[in-house]
Amino acid sequence: MPAPQLLAGALELALNKVLSLDNASQQRLAPLCGKRMRVKLKELPWPLTFVFSSQIDLLMDDEQPVDCAMELSLTHLQEMQDPANISALIQDKKLSLNGDMHTAQSFAALLKELDIDWEEQLSRYTGDVFAHQSVQLAKSLHQRAKGHLQQLGQIIKDGALHEKQLAAHPLAVEDFSRDVNKLRADTARFEARLSQLEQLKASR
Amino acid sequence: MNQQPESNQTHFGYKTVDKDSKASMVAGVFHSVAAKYDLMNDLLSMGIHRIWKRFTIDCSGVRAGHRVLDLAGGTGDLAAKFSRLVGEKGQVVLADINDSMLKVGRDKLRDKGIVGNVEYVQANAECLPFPDNHFDLITIAFGLRNVTDKDKALASMFRVLKPGGRLLVLEFSKPEIEALSKAYDLYSFHVLPKVGQLVVGDAESYQYLAESIRMHPDQDTLKGMMETVGFEQVTYHNLTGGIVALHRGFKF
Repeated sequence: MPAPQLLAGALELALNKVLSLDNASQQRLAPLCGKRMRVKLKELPWPLTFVFSSQIDLLMDDEQPVDCAMELSLTHLQEMQDPANISALIQDKKLSLNGDMHTAQSFAALLKELDIDWEEQLSRYTGDVFAHQSVQLAKSLHQRAKGHLQQLGQIIKDGALHEKQLAAHPLAVEDFSRDVNKLRADTARFEARLSQLEQLKASR
Repeated sequence: MNQQPESNQTHFGYKTVDKDSKASMVAGVFHSVAAKYDLMNDLLSMGIHRIWKRFTIDCSGVRAGHRVLDLAGGTGDLAAKFSRLVGEKGQVVLADINDSMLKVGRDKLRDKGIVGNVEYVQANAECLPFPDNHFDLITIAFGLRNVTDKDKALASMFRVLKPGGRLLVLEFSKPEIEALSKAYDLYSFHVLPKVGQLVVGDAESYQYLAESIRMHPDQDTLKGMMETVGFEQVTYHNLTGGIVALHRGFKF
């Protein structure tokens, strides 16, 4: 059984299902209608070609011309969600983009602006009361988990910086970097002066 | 496999029948199964037919503005996708010899909102009612084995295909591994007709399905048939161990 087609089928189904849960997605999909975009993820051996119409069709086709082709790593996919990050990713050589950048930006916006009312979706199956309580519980658990993670991060940071002194304080790193820059500038000046003196000596 | 009977006779599964009567016998099979065709496809292939069709679309090279003929298009699985891929400027013709299948396909596509660039034509693959050099792509998925005169049908497809266009034939074929072949035989002749009886109330049609698969030309024979009528660069790709094969040929 061709694995790429299985993957493409699952992705296409998931993507279109998620879009169908957001009433405004058709409006954001409209500017992309008729466009094709090829994405090569470094971690995947096959390219994914997105064909936009009233929905998204996903092809494993490497032959046909596309409006926009991009190559990036899976780790930078999250950053792509914000269209403003695209230029920065290209400058940092984390993203290679050929063709119409607007297509990539519209696709990124389509995903970023997804607004799904999960409570409403859940209530279709469970009723309003259960859906409301479940979503509130999930939100509160998420907030708590976030708080605990922040707290844990702070504890690890303090321990590494002050108690065990495993890591340097950000201010110390900043000072060190400033000193290195100053030393680099001094060395460059000294090198230039030395070269000037050598030229003078040679001319006499 | 595919030993040809006398010239005025042909296969209908394992039976030998008059060429004139095969089309109506095949039509009988599809009239019987049309209403539950999609459900049965999912059940009997365990959904794998969707992956085979997806692979066919990936090999189609179809793009906006293309004119596509989905022959023996049945309930329109391929046509639905092609309709979106060719866009408003393109055209998809869903053709089937069987009006019951065509009606099911037309209703299904319209219910999905697929209108505008899809046309429905009741046509015999052996004498396609289209001008020469008309289509960029022709697909025939699980249909060729039901055609009475396959050579004539392939020649007809060659005629209506544009130079540079391609034909894709997705069809049951010969499993590559002997053990798989035996398991597949067991499944085809013992499970298929029973499920057919249970779901559609018609075991005979599914007995015909199993027999027609065995009588269909194997991978290399079909490749040769395509080359004989003029197709070039003919290749095939075995799927699921050769249970199904996708043949691709170009007209230059």
